[in-house]
Amino acid sequence: MADTAATAGAGSSGTRSGSKQSTNPADNYHLARRRTLQVVVSSLLTEAGFESAEKASVETLTEMLQSYISEIGRSAKSYCEHTARTQPTLSDIVVTLVEMGFNVDTLPAYAKRSQRMVITAPPVTNQPVTPKALTAGQNRPHPPHIPSHFPEFPDPHTYIKTPTYREPVSDYQVLREKAASQRRDVERALTRFMAKTGKTQSLFKDDVSTFPLIAARPFTIPYLTALLPSELEMQQMEETDSSEQDEQTDTENLSLHISTDDSGAEKENASVLQQNPALSGSRNGEENIIDNPYLRPVKKPKIRRKKSLS
Amino acid sequence: MPPTDLEPARMNRKKGDKGFESPRPYKLTHQVVCINNINFQRKSVVGFVELTIFPTVANLNRIKLNSKQCRIYRVRINDLEAAFIYNDPTLEVCHNESKQRNLNYFSNAYAAAVSAVDPDAGNGELCIKVPSELWKHVDELKVLKIHINFSLDQPKGGLHFVVPNVEGSMAERGAHVFSCGYQNSTRFWFPCVDSYSELCTWKLEFTVDAAMVAVSNGDLVETVYTHDMRKKTFHYMLTIPTAASNISLAIGPFEILVDPYMHEVTHFCLPQLLPLLKHTTSYLHEVFEFYEEILTCRYPYSCFKTVFIDEAYVEVAAYASMSIFSTNLLHSAMIIDETPLTRRCLAQSLAQQFFGCFISRMSWSDEWVLKGISGYIYGLWMKKTFGVNEYRHWIKEELDKIVAYELKTGGVLLHPIFGGGKEKDKYVYYPEVFNKLLSLASTASSQKFQSHMWSQMLVSTYGFLKSISNVSGKDIQPLIKQWVDQSGVVKFYGSFAFNRKRNVLELEIKQDYTSPGTQKYVGPLKVTVQELDGSFNHTLQIEENSLKHDIPCHSKSRRNKKKKIPLMNGEEVDMDLSAMDADSPLLWIRIDPDMSVLRKVEFEQADFMWQYQLRYERDVVAQQESILALEKFPTPASRLALTDILEQEQCFYRVRMSACFCLAKIANSMVSTWTGPPAMKSLFTRMFCCKTCPNIVKTNNFMSFQSYFLQKTMPVAMALLRDVHNLCPKEVLTFILDLIKYNDNRKNKFSDNYYRAEMIDALANSVTPAVSVNNEVRTLDNLNPDVRLILEEITRFLNMEKLLPSYRHTITVSCLRAIRVLQKNGHVPSDPALFKSYAEYGHFVDIRIAALEAVVDYTKVDRSYEELQWLLNMIQNDPVPYVRHKILNMLTKNPPFTKNMESPLCNEALVDQLWKLMNSGTSHDWRLRCGAVDLYFTLFGLSRPSCLPLPELGLVLNLKEKKAVLNPTIIPEVIAGSQEATMNPSSHAQLVGFQNPFSSSQDEEEIDMDTVHDSQAFISHHLNMLERPSTPGLSKYRPASSRPTIIPQHPSGCDGTPSTKPQWNMEFSRKGTGREQSPLEMSMHPAAATPLSVFTKESTSSKHSDHHHHHHHEHKKKKKKHKHKHKHKHKHDSKEKDKEPFTFSSPASGRSIHSPSLSD
Repeated sequence: MADTAATAGAGSSGTRSGSKQSTNPADNYHLARRRTLQVVVSSLLTEAGFESAEKASVETLTEMLQSYISEIGRSAKSYCEHTARTQPTLSDIVVTLVEMGFNVDTLPAYAKRSQRMVITAPPVTNQPVTPKALTAGQNRPHPPHIPSHFPEFPDPHTYIKTPTYREPVSDYQVLREKAASQRRDVERALTRFMAKTGKTQSLFKDDVSTFPLIAARPFTIPYLTALLPSELEMQQMEETDSSEQDEQTDTENLSLHISTDDSGAEKENASVLQQNPALSGSRNGEENIIDNPYLRPVKKPKIRRKKSLS
Repeated sequence: MPPTDLEPARMNRKKGDKGFESPRPYKLTHQVVCINNINFQRKSVVGFVELTIFPTVANLNRIKLNSKQCRIYRVRINDLEAAFIYNDPTLEVCHNESKQRNLNYFSNAYAAAVSAVDPDAGNGELCIKVPSELWKHVDELKVLKIHINFSLDQPKGGLHFVVPNVEGSMAERGAHVFSCGYQNSTRFWFPCVDSYSELCTWKLEFTVDAAMVAVSNGDLVETVYTHDMRKKTFHYMLTIPTAASNISLAIGPFEILVDPYMHEVTHFCLPQLLPLLKHTTSYLHEVFEFYEEILTCRYPYSCFKTVFIDEAYVEVAAYASMSIFSTNLLHSAMIIDETPLTRRCLAQSLAQQFFGCFISRMSWSDEWVLKGISGYIYGLWMKKTFGVNEYRHWIKEELDKIVAYELKTGGVLLHPIFGGGKEKDKYVYYPEVFNKLLSLASTASSQKFQSHMWSQMLVSTYGFLKSISNVSGKDIQPLIKQWVDQSGVVKFYGSFAFNRKRNVLELEIKQDYTSPGTQKYVGPLKVTVQELDGSFNHTLQIEENSLKHDIPCHSKSRRNKKKKIPLMNGEEVDMDLSAMDADSPLLWIRIDPDMSVLRKVEFEQADFMWQYQLRYERDVVAQQESILALEKFPTPASRLALTDILEQEQCFYRVRMSACFCLAKIANSMVSTWTGPPAMKSLFTRMFCCKTCPNIVKTNNFMSFQSYFLQKTMPVAMALLRDVHNLCPKEVLTFILDLIKYNDNRKNKFSDNYYRAEMIDALANSVTPAVSVNNEVRTLDNLNPDVRLILEEITRFLNMEKLLPSYRHTITVSCLRAIRVLQKNGHVPSDPALFKSYAEYGHFVDIRIAALEAVVDYTKVDRSYEELQWLLNMIQNDPVPYVRHKILNMLTKNPPFTKNMESPLCNEALVDQLWKLMNSGTSHDWRLRCGAVDLYFTLFGLSRPSCLPLPELGLVLNLKEKKAVLNPTIIPEVIAGSQEATMNPSSHAQLVGFQNPFSSSQDEEEIDMDTVHDSQAFISHHLNMLERPSTPGLSKYRPASSRPTIIPQHPSGCDGTPSTKPQWNMEFSRKGTGREQSPLEMSMHPAAATPLSVFTKESTSSKHSDHHHHHHHEHKKKKKKHKHKHKHKHKHDSKEKDKEPFTFSSPASGRSIHSPSLSD
C-alpha cells in the first residue's frame, strides 16, 4: 500500500482531467478505468525490468490488456448465461481462461510472485447522479384507509392546484394600445407578405421595398367585391345585430337566379329548388298571396301563339 | 290600372290628332317591338318593329322615322315591300375634306344635321316610300302598318352590353344588356319616332335565353318557352300611351325580388346581390305612399320595376313603369353614407315616373316644367323624409349652384320661346310655383289637376301655367316673366345704417345686373329683421331706382333691461347682449330669407350680428350664411360662436360640419394670436375620445348619425390648420395618426369605411408643399419624416383594401387621391403609372374615376403628351360609356391648357384628333359628343385654334357664305342661311357680352312666316335656332346639290340632340341635387357644382339672344303672327271646347301665350 499516494495522485489527476474534458459521469468512469489499466501495464513493465516506455507502446499494451480482459468478461458472461445464470461464477472464468488457452494452474503461482507490485484500488469515482425529482413540499402520508404498502403519494405539485394570479391588465389605455398595435402589426405583416409574394408597385423608382404596394389587379366582375360586405364584416354584423336575416345561401350560388322560380315544376326549376331549398321555400310560401307576373310559370310554347296574345 | 284608362288615353290620342299639331303627316297609334335574338357573345340584336300609323294628310308618300346604328333589312307597309333611304347626317357632322376647325362652324353644321333628322320637325334618318299601290289607301287616311326588320351589331350607344370575361354560360357570367342614352336615345336600338311628344301604345316582345329575364315597360303578359325550350319570350303590353323615348329594356340573369309591401312592384338585380337589393328597396314603398298622397293620385302604371345594372350610363334613368339604376347604389344595412343617397335616387326616379314618363312634354322647351314638377315633389319627399333642415339646406345648395353657374357662364333660359329661365332654378323657384298650386288647391281642384294628367298626357309650359291659374286662381305671370322669360340670377348687395334719431333702419340694396348671368329684379323682396323685441318681416318693393329703404324699428335700444328675446319661431331666448352696439336694437338682418328669388346676396353687417345670427337664428340657411360671413372676421368672438355651434347637439349637423371648416380658416388667420390647443382638438377629444385617456378615440359607435358625420368631418377640417410656418402642426398630424391607429370598429353595427376614407383625406389635407432644394429628385432618403408616416398609413390602407375591400372601395379612392396630393406637393416623384394601372377597365368605377382624375391632373401639371394621348385613347375605346364621359368631363374641368395659354401640348395633331372625336367619333352618344365639344371649346375656344396655320381666305368665307345663303333659289337653305347670317352678329357680339340680341331679324321673321306652315313648326324652328350660335357655313364645304338631302325642307324643329346641351346641364343639376353631399364630398366632386362647359354658355347665351329676337318680333309683329296663328288655332280651339276647363290647353294654343287670340 506504499504506492497509494502515487496512484491516488494519478487517479485524482485523471479524474480532474476527465472532469475537465467532459462532465459526463459515464465518460469519467471510463477514463478512470483506462487510467487504472495504464497503471497496471506500467507496473508490469517495471516488474519486467523496463525503466521507461514510449507512450505509444504503453497505450498499445493497455489496449491489448483491455481487450483481453474484455474478452474474458464477455466469454464468462456467455458461459454463465449458457447455464441460465445471471452472475458468472469462478468456474465460468476458469472455463473461459482455459478456452482462451491460458494455463490456469500457473495463476496462483504468478499471483504469489515476490516482486509483484501492489496497486491500490482505483478511487470510487462518483457515480453519475440522476437528478432528484423536484419536490415541492412534503409528500402527504397515506390516509388511514389506504394500506401502507401502497405507493406513496406523488409530489403534491403534481396534483395540487395552486392558483397563481398576475394582476390582470385592466388599464384601458394599455389594452387599446395593445389591440391597436397588434392589429396594426398583423396587418402590416400580412400586407408585406402579400406584397413580397406577389406583384408590387412602388411610388419611388429607386426603392421598391420600403412602401410596397400590392399591384392593382382588375376583376372580371368588379362590383361584387365593391358592394358585397366582406366576410369579416358579415361576421361583425351578425355579432352586432343578429336580427339581420341570413341570405348568404343565395349569394354563394352564382348560377342561381330565380326567374322561373315557382312550383311549375319545370326541369330547371326543380334544380333551382334543389340548389336552394330555403329560399324557394320562402318564396313558395309568399306565392300563395303574391301574384306577380315574374313569378308565374313559364308557358309551354303553343302552336299558334299569336292568337293567344292579341 | 283599371281597364277604362285605355279609354281616355285613346280619346286623348284622338284629341291629339286634332289638337296637337303634329309635325308628322301621320299619327302613330301603336308600335310593336320584337327582339327575337340577342347574342351576348357577338353583342348583336335581331328583331323587327311594326308601327301602326294613321295618315293625316291625303298625299302622304314618304314616312320618316328615326333610327340610328340599326341595320335595316326590309321594310314592308301593309305587307307590301317598300323602298327606303337610310341617311344619318349626325354620323359625321362636318365632312372630312373640311379644313374648318372652329366651333361656330361645327355647331352650326351639327344643328343642321340634327334638325335634319329631328322627329319634332317631322324628320328622321329613315325615309320610307309608301308603295304606289297604297296611295289610294292613304288618301282615304286608312291605317298603315309599317313592318321593319332590323339588326344591331355591336352597338356603341343606346344598348349597352356587359359581358364579364369569365368561364360559364352567359347567365352564369352575369352578362346583361340594357338600354341607355341621354334623353331621347331610343332610335339607337330600334326604329321609332324618337320624340317625347309622339305617344302610342306598345307591345314589346323579347326572346332571351331561358336563364335570363327581360325587363321592359308595361305589364308582363306572359312568358312562353320557344319550341326548343331553350329560350323564353317575354311579352309586354303597355296600354298607356307612351313616347318611344320612354321605352327601355334590360336583359340579364337577374335575381327577382317582389316587393314585400307592394306586390306589383318588382326589383331586379344581378346575381349574388339579392341581399343588398332587399335592403336597398325596403324603403321604396314609403316613397310611393308619399307621392300618391301628395298628388292624391294613384301611381299611373299598373306595375313598377327597378333594375340595378352594372356599368350604368347614369345613376338613375326613369322610363315608363320602370327605372334603371346603377348597381352601385345597392348597399347593405351597414352602410350609412350611401343610404340617403340611394333613397334620393329612388325617390327621384319615382317622381319622374309621374312627371316625365307618364306625363310627357310637348316640346323641348317644356322640359323644365316636368323636371321642375318632379324635382319639386321630390323636394317635398325630402322634406318629409330628411326634415325641413335638410330640405332648406338642399334648396340653398341648389341655389348656390345655379348662382355660381350662371355667374360663371351666363344665364340659362328655361323656356326659350315662351320665356327664358334657368335650368336649375326651377328647383328653387319651382317650389314657389308649385307650392302655390298645391297649397291653394283644394282637394277638389287637385282632383281636377289629376284628371288632367289622365286626359292630357303631354304638358307644355303654357298649359301648365294655365292649369296653375285655374287651380289656384293665382296669377304667376310676373314670376314667370322674371324667371322663365329671362335668364340670369339677381345679385344683391346690401348694407344698412341705423338712424338712431328716427329709430329707422336704413337699408340699401344695390343690384348688379351688368355682369354676365345676372338680371335686374323688380318686385317684392322680403327682409327679416331681428330686433331686441322680436323678429319682424318686411316686404320691400324693389324698383328701378330705389336703392334705399327705410324700415322702422319696433324696439328701442336698451341694454340694461334683461329680458328674453323672442325669435321668429316664437321661441324666447336669453342672449348675452354685451357684444352689440348699445345704440341699436338690431340683432341681425336677413334679405330674402325664404330664397324665393334666385339671388346671390352679399350683405354687410357687423361681425357680432353674424355671430348672433349664427347662434340664435333657427334657420339652417341663415346659420350657414353667417358661417360663411364669419370667415372674414377672425376674432376670438367668432371662434367662440363657432365652437359653441359645434358643440350644440340640437344644431343641424351640416351646419356644424361647415362650422368645422370655418373654424379651421379662422384659426389659420389668427395663427399668431391663437391660444390653446389646435382648433377643435379639445372639442373632438371631449366628444369622441375616452374620458380616461384623451388621446385614444372611443371604439366606433355610429348609432347617432349626426355625431358620426361630425366625427368624420372634424379631423378633415383640423388637417387644414397651419402653423406660423404654414405647416400642419405636428400635434394635429399625430392626433390624426392616433385616430387611425386606435380606430376600432369591432363593436360597431355600421361599416367604418367612409370614416376611414375621410381619415385618409385628413392625412392628405395635412400635406404641405415639400421644401425642395434645387429641384432634387425625390427619393426615399430625403423623405420628410411626417410624410413617411403618412405614406406608411396609405400603404397599409391601400394594401389592406386588396385583402379586405371596403364598400365601394372608398378607401382605395381616398388613398389614390392622397398619393396624388403627395406627388403634387413634391414629396413623392410625380408618376402616373400607378394611377394608370388603377384606371384600367376591370376596376370598380369609383376607383377608375379617382385614378383618371389623377392622370388628368398629371397631364396638366406635367404637360405630358403621352398621358393626354392615353386619355384620349381611353375616351374612344373604353367599354364603359360613363367613364368615357367622365374623362372628357374631367379634362374640361381641369384642362391641360386653355385657349389663352401657350402649351407644348397644343398642336395640330391634337386639334385634328379632337375634331375627329366630336365630328364622327362620338356619333353614338349625345352626351359624349357634347363633352367632346366642351373640351374642344375649353382648349381652343370658339374660333380657329391658334396652333393651326391660318386658313387661306378665311374672311372671304363668311362673306361668301352670306351670299350663298341669301341665294333665293334654294328656299330651305335661304331660311336656314339667313337666320344663321342674321344671328352671326349677335353671337359674335355675345363673346363680349351677349346683350346685343336685336339684330336684323325682321327678314327672318318674314321668311319664317312664309315658309313654315304651322305654329308648331314655327316654334320648334325658333327652338332649333337657339342651338345654333352662329353660322359660317355649311354650303361652302358641302356641295350645294348634296345639301337638300342632308337638310331636307326647313331645318326647323328641335331634337334631343341640339337640346342636349342645355339638357345636359340639367343632368348635372339633377345629379347634384340627387346626391346628398357633405362639404367634403362637395369639394371632391366639383362636377356637381360647376359642371358646365363654357361652350354651353355660348350656346345658351346665343340661345338667349335668339330668344330676344323672338320676343322682339313677337311684340313688333304681333299682329302678323296672330293672324298667322289664327288660322290654325281656330279649328283646334273649337274642337277643344268640350274639354274640361282645367285641362292643359292644347299645344296649339299653348304656343300662343303672348297672343290675345288665345281666347278666340
